[in-house]
Amino acid sequence: MFERIRQIIIKEFIQILRDPRMRTLLFLPPIIQMIIFGYAASTDVKNIQMAVYDLDNTPESRDLVREFTYSDYFHVKHYIYTDRAAEEMIDKSDVNTVIRFNLGFGNDLNANRQAQAQLIIDGSDSNTAAVISAYANQIMERYSSRLLDKRVQVLLNRSIRFPKIDLRTRAWFNENLLSRDFFIPGVIALIVTVVTLLLTSMAIVKEKEIGTIEQLIVSPINSWELILGKLLPFALIGLFDILLVTVVGVFWFDVPIRGNLLLLFGSAILYLLTTLGIGLFISTIANTQQEAMMTAFFFIFPAILLSGFVFPIYNMPKLIQYITYVNPIRYFLVIIRGIFLKGVGIEILWPQMMALFALGIVIFTLSTLRFRKRLG
Amino acid sequence: MNTKNDITKAVEVSELEKKFGSFVAVDRISFQVNKGEIFGFLGPNGAGKSTTIRMLCGILLPTYGTGHVSGYDIIKEQKLIKQNIGYMSQRFSLYEDLTVEENINFYSGIYSVPADKKKERKEYIIRMAGLENLRTSRTGILSTGWKQRLALGCAIIHEPGILFLDEPTAGVDPIARQMFWKLIKDMAKRGVTIFVTTHYMDEAENCDRLALIYNGDIIATGTPNQLKTEFMKEDVLSISIPQPEEWIERLNKLNTIRETALFGTMLHAIVDNEKSATGSIKELFARDKAFDYEVRRIQPSLEDVFVSLIKSYNKKG
Amino acid sequence: MNLKRIKAITRKEFIQIIRDPRSLGMAIAFPMLLLTLFGYALSLDVDNVPLVIWNQDKSQVSQDYILNFKASPYFKIVGYSDNYKELQSYVDKNKAFMILVIPPDFSSLINSKQSAPVQLLVDGSDSNTATIAIGYVTAVTAGYNRKLAIDSLSHLGVRDITPVDMRTRIWFNQDLKSRNFIIPGLIAIIMMVIAALLTSLTVAREWERGTMEQLISTPIKPRELILGKFIPYFVIGFVDVLIAILMGEFIFQVPLRGSVVLLFILSSLFLTGTLTMGMLISIVAKKQLLASQMAMVTTFLPAFLLSGFVYSIANMPTIIQAITYIVPARYFITILKGIYLKGVGLEILVIPVLFLSVFAFVVVNLATMAFKKKVT
Repeated sequence: MFERIRQIIIKEFIQILRDPRMRTLLFLPPIIQMIIFGYAASTDVKNIQMAVYDLDNTPESRDLVREFTYSDYFHVKHYIYTDRAAEEMIDKSDVNTVIRFNLGFGNDLNANRQAQAQLIIDGSDSNTAAVISAYANQIMERYSSRLLDKRVQVLLNRSIRFPKIDLRTRAWFNENLLSRDFFIPGVIALIVTVVTLLLTSMAIVKEKEIGTIEQLIVSPINSWELILGKLLPFALIGLFDILLVTVVGVFWFDVPIRGNLLLLFGSAILYLLTTLGIGLFISTIANTQQEAMMTAFFFIFPAILLSGFVFPIYNMPKLIQYITYVNPIRYFLVIIRGIFLKGVGIEILWPQMMALFALGIVIFTLSTLRFRKRLG
Repeated sequence: MNTKNDITKAVEVSELEKKFGSFVAVDRISFQVNKGEIFGFLGPNGAGKSTTIRMLCGILLPTYGTGHVSGYDIIKEQKLIKQNIGYMSQRFSLYEDLTVEENINFYSGIYSVPADKKKERKEYIIRMAGLENLRTSRTGILSTGWKQRLALGCAIIHEPGILFLDEPTAGVDPIARQMFWKLIKDMAKRGVTIFVTTHYMDEAENCDRLALIYNGDIIATGTPNQLKTEFMKEDVLSISIPQPEEWIERLNKLNTIRETALFGTMLHAIVDNEKSATGSIKELFARDKAFDYEVRRIQPSLEDVFVSLIKSYNKKG
Repeated sequence: MNLKRIKAITRKEFIQIIRDPRSLGMAIAFPMLLLTLFGYALSLDVDNVPLVIWNQDKSQVSQDYILNFKASPYFKIVGYSDNYKELQSYVDKNKAFMILVIPPDFSSLINSKQSAPVQLLVDGSDSNTATIAIGYVTAVTAGYNRKLAIDSLSHLGVRDITPVDMRTRIWFNQDLKSRNFIIPGLIAIIMMVIAALLTSLTVAREWERGTMEQLISTPIKPRELILGKFIPYFVIGFVDVLIAILMGEFIFQVPLRGSVVLLFILSSLFLTGTLTMGMLISIVAKKQLLASQMAMVTTFLPAFLLSGFVYSIANMPTIIQAITYIVPARYFITILKGIYLKGVGLEILVIPVLFLSVFAFVVVNLATMAFKKKVT
C-alpha cells in the first residue's frame, strides 16, 4: 500500500514541477504577497500632507505649526490664504489636513485669552482620518499642557500644580505599531490556503479532464491511497511555503517570532485538514480546471474577508460573527498571530486548535465520502 | 450569388504551401474543382487536409502559392470568399448551450440573411435535418448525428455556392452517415459545389472526383473509378479459406505476392500479376492440403489503391 | 459595421451568460455578496473596543474617570480585574484589546493636585486599531484633564484659561464611517470582477470549443465580433453599477453628494476600458484557464490591493506608489470617492478622467489589433 502511495506522490511531484504554470503558482504568489503586504498594503499613516492656512502669521501660530511638523507625522506641503484654496486642495486630495488660524490667534494667546484654531481633516478615507485625528490629539495634548503651565505661572505669579492624568501608553507585541508585523504572519494563512485549496482542487480535476483518473480507477489502487497520494504533495508544499514565509518574514522584514515553531507547524497540519478537505470537495463538483479555480475563488475570497485578516471580527455584526465560527481561516490566524507576536503557547491556543481539529475532521470526512462516491 | 465572371472552376489552387516553422504541412499542391461537383480530399490524419481547407476558407494564410475560390483570391479577397462559402468544421462548432433554433438564428444573423428569407431558411434547415421535434432542445443534448445535420444546415443558411466540409462524418454512426451523404448529393444535384475532406475510404466512393493527399503531397487525382483502374498497378485477389489468419505468413513468403492482409473473414492479396499469383497460391494450398478455398480477382477498393500508392511514395523517398 | 452580425453575436452571448449558472452568479450574485459584506460586515471603524480595567484605587475620583469610558461608544468595558495574570490572559485570548491600569494612589494624587500616572496597555498586533484606539483614549483623557484644570482654576476664581481651543472638523465623512468610502470604491472592484472573471473567458472559450474557427470562416469582421461580445458585459456592468448605487443609497445610507449623471458616464468610461482589457486577455490567452489566471493577476488583484480601495496609496512606499500609476482602478477610485464623498465635478477630476480615457482608447485598439493578428 505504501508503495502505491509513494508512486502517486512521486508522479504528482514530477507533474507539478514540470508544469511551468504550476511552478509559477507555487513560488510567485508567496513572494508577491509578501512584497505587497510587507510594503504596499500598509495601514500605517505617515507623511501626512498638511496645508497651513495662516491668516495670523505670528510667532505663536508658527509655533503651533512647528509642534505638528516636529512630530514627524505631519509635513507641510502648501501655504494657502483662501477658503477656496483649502477646498480645492482637499477636493483634489493634494493635502488631507488643513490647519487654520484666523487673524488674532497670537494676540489672544498673548493676552491670556482662549485662542481659536481649526483642524480640517479629509474624512473620505475614514481610517486615515481617524489616525490623523489621534496623532493631532496627542500633539495638542502635549502643547496645551505645556502652554497651560506657563500661562498659569504668568497669571498668578506662581506655579500652580494642576491635577492631571499622565497617560502612559505601551503597545504590547508590536511596540512600534507597524502594520507589517500584523499582516505578514497573516500572509502565511493566505498562502497556505491558496496552495492547498486551489492547487489541490485543480490538480485533481486536471486528471478528470485529461482522463487519466479513469486509468487510475481501473488499477489496483484503492480510493484512500489515491486521495492520500494526491493530497500529501500539496500538504508538503504548503508546509514548505510556511517555512519560506517565516524565514523571509523574520530575517528580511524583522517580524518577531516569539512562540514555538513546532506549535506553528502542528497547527498548520490541523489547518491543512480543512483546506485539503475543501480542495477535495471542490474537485468533486468541478469538471474543468477552470471551474475548479472559479469555485475555489468564490470560497476563498469571502472567507478571507471574514477571517479577521484585514477587517477585525469583533466589529462585525453578531450574526456575521457567528458565521465566522465555521471559518477555519479565523482560527488559524489567531494561532499564527498568537505564536508570532504574542508568544503564547498551547495553553492559550488550545480552543482554536480544537476548533480546527473538529472542522478538519468533519470537512475531510465529508469530502472523502463524496469523492469516493464519485469514483465508484 | 456573386461569382466573379462565369468561371467554371469553383476552386483552383496552384503551388499552395503552408509551413509551420520548419514543418511543411501542405507541400506546394495544385488542383482544381469543377462547379457542381463533389470533390473529396482523402488522406490519413495529419496529411494536410484540414490545413488545406482552412486556407481555402480564409482561416489560414498560405506561406506560398495562389488559390481562387469562386473566382476570388484566397489571399487578397478573403472577405468576399467568406460571404459566398459555407464551412463546417471538424468539431461541428455549434453552441452547445443554445437551442437548435437559437443556433440557426445566430448564423442567420451572422450571414445577414435578409429578413424576408429568414423564416423560410430556418424552416428549411429544420426540416432537412429532421429536427422538427427538437427545435427548442439544447444542442448539447443532441446525438452526434443530429448535431452533424444541424451544423450542415447552419453552414448553408445563406445558400452559398460552395460548401467546405472538414471531416463531417467523424464519430457519427453509419446510418446517420448515410443520411448525411444523401443530403450532400441532393445539394450537389442542385448545383452546389461540395469540397469535403475525409479519411473514410468507403465514403470517398460518393465523390465525383478525389484527390489523395499524404504527407502534404497530392499523390493522385481522379474519379474513384479512375483511381481504381488507372492508378493501381497491381491486381487484387480475394482468397476465401477456413482459418485465413493461419495462411498470411506462408502467402507472404510467395514471391508473386506483394502483401496479404485480413479483410473481414477473407484475405486480400496484392499481386503483380493475377495469373502467376493465382498459380502459386493454388500450388501452396495443394501442397499444404488446404481445402474449400476460392481465389478470385476483385476490383481494388480505394483503400487498396491508397495503400499501394503510399507504398510507392514512401519507396521513392 | 454590419448591425445584423453584431446583433447576432450580442444575442448569442446574452443567452450563454444567462444559461450558465456560474457566470450568472458572478455577474449578479457575487457583486451583491460583496456589497452586503462590505456594507454590513466589514468595517475598519474602530468602536466598541474591548477594554478591561484594573482599578487599584476604587475611589469616587477614579470612577469619575472611568465613567468617561463607559459613556463612550468607542469603548466597551468587558471586565474589571485585580489580577495581572488574569488581565494578561484577557489580552492573550483576544477577549480584551486594552488594559487600563489605575494606580492605588490615584485619588490622593489628584486631590493633592499632582500628576497621576495611568497606564494603558494595548494589544499592538493590529496596529491600525491600536493606533486609533490609543488616540481615543488620549482624547478622553485630555478632555478629563481639561475638566480637572478648569475645576481647579475656578476654585481660584479664574475662568477657563485653556490656551488653545482646537476644533477638529472632519470633512465629507463626519462620523468617520469606513463604509462611506469603501462602498463607493466597491463599484470599481465589482467591475473588475466582471472584467476579470467573465469577459476574460468569452473569447478563450470559443477558441477552446472550436466555434471561433467557425466564426472566422464567416464574413464577420474583428471589430464587429469584439463589439458584439462587449455589449452584453457592458450591460451587466452597468446594471451592477446601478445596483451598487441603489444599495448604497437606500440600504447603507452612503451619501452621494456629486452628480449621479457624471457617475454613470465615468463608470461607463471605466467599464469600457476594463471590459476590453478582459477581452484582450481572452484573445491572447486562447485557453480559458490561462485567461482567468492572467485576468486575476493583472486586473482584479491590483485593483483590490493597489488602487486605494482599502489601503491608502499615500501610505505606500514611493516605488509602489509609482506602480499604482498604471493601475486603472486607481483613477476610478479617485473619481468614485470624489463624486460620492466630496461632491466634486469634472474640473477637479480632469486628470483621472484623462487617464481613463487614454486607457480605454489604447486597450480597445490593442484588442482589435491582437484579434486581427490571431485571426490571420
